[in-house]
Amino acid sequence: MNRSFLRLIIGSVLCLCGVPLAVLSSPPRPDVLLETMQRELARATTSLAKADPAPYFLTYAVTDTNALTIAGLNGSLVASTTVHGRQADVMMRVGSSALDNTHSQSRPSGITTGTLPLQDDADSIARVLWQLTDREYEQASGAFLKVKTNQAVQSEEEDKSPDFSQESSENHIDESRPAIALSQKIWEDRIRRVSGGFLKYRDVYTSLVLLQGGTSHSYLATSEGTALAQPAAMFRLVIEAETRADDGTNLLRVESYQAASPDQLPSEPELVAAVNKIAADLHALRNAPAAEPYAGPALLSGRAAAVFFHEVLGHRLEGHRQRDEREGQTFTKKVNQQVLPTFLTVVDDPTMHEMNGVKLAGYYQFDDEGVPAQRVVAVENGILKNFLMSRMPITNFSHSNGHGRRQPGLMPTGRQGNLIVTSTKTVKDPELRQKFIEEIKRQGKPYGLYFEDIQGGFTLTARAQPQAFQVIPVMVWRVYADGRPDELVRGVDIVGTPLLSLNNIILTGDTLQVFNGVCGAESGQVPVAAVAPAMLFSEIEVQKREKGTQRPPLLPPPGFENATADATAKSGTATQAKP
Amino acid sequence: MSALTKATPRWSSIRVLSLLVFVWAVPASGQQPAAESSATASYAVSSDPLLQAMREELDRSKSQLKMEDVPAPYYIEYRLSDTDEYFAEAAFGALRQDQRFHARTIRVVVRVGDYKQDSYYGPGIGAVNIAPIDNDPIALRWQLWTATDQAYKAASEALATKKAALRQYTADQPFDDFAHAPAVESIGPLAKLDFDPKPWKEMIEKSSNLFRGDPKIESLTAGLRFRAVNQYFVNSERTVTRHGYTVYFLTANGTTQAADGMLLSRAPYYTAGTLKDLPTPEQFQADSAKMVETLKELRDAPMVDEDYRGPVLFSADAATDLFNGMVGRNVLGIRPKPGDSARTTGDYASNYKSRVLPTFLSVNDDPTMKAFGGKTLIGSYETDDEGVRAAKVPVIADGMLVNYLMGREPIRDFPESNGHGRAGSAQSTSPNIGNLVVESKQSLSPDELKQKLIEICKQNGQAFGYYVETLGGPGYEPRLLYRVYAKDGHEELVRGAVFDELDTRALRNDLVAAGNDPLVSNRDGQVPTTVISPSILFDDLEVKRTDAKNQKLPEYPPPDLIAAH
Repeated sequence: MNRSFLRLIIGSVLCLCGVPLAVLSSPPRPDVLLETMQRELARATTSLAKADPAPYFLTYAVTDTNALTIAGLNGSLVASTTVHGRQADVMMRVGSSALDNTHSQSRPSGITTGTLPLQDDADSIARVLWQLTDREYEQASGAFLKVKTNQAVQSEEEDKSPDFSQESSENHIDESRPAIALSQKIWEDRIRRVSGGFLKYRDVYTSLVLLQGGTSHSYLATSEGTALAQPAAMFRLVIEAETRADDGTNLLRVESYQAASPDQLPSEPELVAAVNKIAADLHALRNAPAAEPYAGPALLSGRAAAVFFHEVLGHRLEGHRQRDEREGQTFTKKVNQQVLPTFLTVVDDPTMHEMNGVKLAGYYQFDDEGVPAQRVVAVENGILKNFLMSRMPITNFSHSNGHGRRQPGLMPTGRQGNLIVTSTKTVKDPELRQKFIEEIKRQGKPYGLYFEDIQGGFTLTARAQPQAFQVIPVMVWRVYADGRPDELVRGVDIVGTPLLSLNNIILTGDTLQVFNGVCGAESGQVPVAAVAPAMLFSEIEVQKREKGTQRPPLLPPPGFENATADATAKSGTATQAKP
Repeated sequence: MSALTKATPRWSSIRVLSLLVFVWAVPASGQQPAAESSATASYAVSSDPLLQAMREELDRSKSQLKMEDVPAPYYIEYRLSDTDEYFAEAAFGALRQDQRFHARTIRVVVRVGDYKQDSYYGPGIGAVNIAPIDNDPIALRWQLWTATDQAYKAASEALATKKAALRQYTADQPFDDFAHAPAVESIGPLAKLDFDPKPWKEMIEKSSNLFRGDPKIESLTAGLRFRAVNQYFVNSERTVTRHGYTVYFLTANGTTQAADGMLLSRAPYYTAGTLKDLPTPEQFQADSAKMVETLKELRDAPMVDEDYRGPVLFSADAATDLFNGMVGRNVLGIRPKPGDSARTTGDYASNYKSRVLPTFLSVNDDPTMKAFGGKTLIGSYETDDEGVRAAKVPVIADGMLVNYLMGREPIRDFPESNGHGRAGSAQSTSPNIGNLVVESKQSLSPDELKQKLIEICKQNGQAFGYYVETLGGPGYEPRLLYRVYAKDGHEELVRGAVFDELDTRALRNDLVAAGNDPLVSNRDGQVPTTVISPSILFDDLEVKRTDAKNQKLPEYPPPDLIAAH
């Protein structure tokens, strides 16, 4: 195996375990690591103050990670590994807060990343930090000169906010270590057994059961005097499986669970049940009719609505998008105007630990710029009030509200934490289905669409692309006005423009549902939660999903050589929609 | 674009995972009893649960795979690569990477058509999948099943695309697409990574700790990478092979800057087929200390003269780099794109049966040679990665190119494989060298070569010639280059040199002598290879001053040391 392949592997591990972990090795002693960071930071700050141009801000951020990955398929492991790593990010701003090297497209010049020694060897750590700082200074000072030149020749920008906000310094050293009891061997065997459950199903062509996670300690030292040490722990268990319909449509089901320790993950019987449910869903989807283009009433489950809001609204509330001139800036000038029906309020609250007993993945105490997390009321009774701010100011919003987040190695931007949608126009959930059917009848449609589960989605917020959004619904049911049983359909894509769709919400359920996931954007992968009640839309537009062209496999899978096609019946029966 | 996903985005996650293969040294647990052997299965197959599962799935696919309007495959091969790897790195005296992983990949090739013309083209060159690390026949067959299905469908499209592409060329291809090869059964012992990492970690920490002795050393690291690879192969021609190898790689890397900002670096390395061929901790520490010392000498060394043309002596170590790059890469029978009438893609495409080296040199490639001068050769193998038995191939005889190294893809005048079709994990096979051996009829001692260099200088009326001790970097950059004074033979280290027109033409026309000091150079790339060559002397080579821009010196001094060690 060649070396670049290997690097790719390692890269993937660290990246996929974006929110890392501490399992086996002894935790770092913050007195050595943090003190060395602070000492070297002070020396760099003093030394570089004499340089021209000089930095006005310097940060050292170190993430000490103990990551674990165990993956299995069809009863066998394909990977099982632990990695201990320490990543150092040196972030520097040259110039002044009014204009610095990170301005506009030059933002990546603000960071240089490297690998630190695993032990608390002060001399070695100091040397590597010195190397990285010297490299970062060369990059940042060069970029600053370019920024100044660009400012001189380009037309004036609309948003004349400074490049960096003033915030008070924070000091918070949490030396606690999450006590994680994890036996790699027990989980290896469990993943073998759980993944082996898919071998019963001839139309599950590919599957994977993956446990990823671990613990981490993040250290932050800034030239403004901030000193933070924070532990974190996260474990995710993902089960995914795929089949293909006869017309070539690829059908994927994913179930994921997230917890602060492995023992809080679902029990083995629950995981086995999830495997069987996924296989049954895939079998049902394979045989379900393909969706037809449709515009009409729709009901979104709480989880589906949560993803919908994360994509359609949440990403557009991120502060930095309001000043980037390539962005669509849907909401930039809508502050104090109505953007949602008046019965809806949206807050992003990273300080919230759990909701209805479910842990929220977007919880944190300090953001990645060292600013305390804050509850932000973004939309109050339908009126836009605030954005999710990092330390990049925008017109009328000159401070961070603790939403500057990033994956190690990348510059922070305003990001969501726990996005929570609440409603004052609710009915009990069973009643919502009744209202849905009434709406279908009122509009004279034969059926409406019930979105039970949404895979996730992506949002195009840039100007160059249409202001469209797309989420990937997986379990979608036709709910008939005439009382026929609900019918599963496959290959549905929601389309439409954000503002219009959001204002088609006419009523909600009364139970908040949580969607925990990992969100990817410019500043990398960060754990987030989205919370919402079920929602009734007067209209949602759907299109047929683009399908593949490959037929299902020609031969039956190994072990099914002598089985007849009817053996698929083993896969069980389709699950029933229960809105 | 932003995305929220429950897992990694859509289906790519499994494909990502197919690259994300690694393990914490879990020995293949859950050894499942092998399924009963069929009447036709050989002993070789039935003795290995992986080969048996591969054979069963291959036989099923070969006999049953068939789409409407598409011919059934005429050939199928499965190759499974098992890699167990350990790597560690230390910087400035402290470990910063320390990991072991275990992974398996499979590569499936399905060929549609016939030996004369087939689908091995574009997407038709095979499908790759991750494989279970447990010896679990069903899980392995499941992965083979999906990859085979994908490879067959891709092959059918590839054959149509290829036929359409070939229609624009009038000339018929005078050779087959795929060479016939006899069935081979060869089961080698499994290679294993068996060592205690502790002393090795200490060794690289200690080496990289030498930065303490010289405040101008800007970076000092040391690293190691040990791996055991086992390749399992079956094809529909009843070939079944298993071969394994180990490669142990150890390196130290240092950089410093001269007062003018010129970046100076050294990266000596050791590549061996057995642990005992690696240096002892004492040797490695002494070599690292010498490297740090030469960095200091380089810092203080004079810049090379602006222009030089005259004799240059290459050490055996430097010569192996030249022969690897200039001969090794150009004697491969790699077929050019359809429509290109050249014989191969290399510099020697039109040199068949003509002189490419001086007549006193011959080159052969001999993967069957296991050791040389007591050193294990990592380019050795019994069967190549297409299941063809390795053979010694005379490539250049008395300076004349007489052969190319062939896999099973024929080129003009070379219809058969000579056992050089090689591939790394999950890669498609390609002709490659095994053990490339340069032999010389001349055999001057290093002293005699130096005398000869001085004679040429005197004939030319030059004050000095050059001696290259070691090369590095992406081109043939001299890392350690010395002036050798004609007057008294003393040597002086210089910096900032590059060669001009150091190419296959220079190798043919300007190489005038070779030494009696053949050196084994093991090289760990996609596949392990070995080059053996003596020192060589060019009578007329250009050496220039580099025009690369110097870097800035550090903006502020390195931190003071705290610890005493």
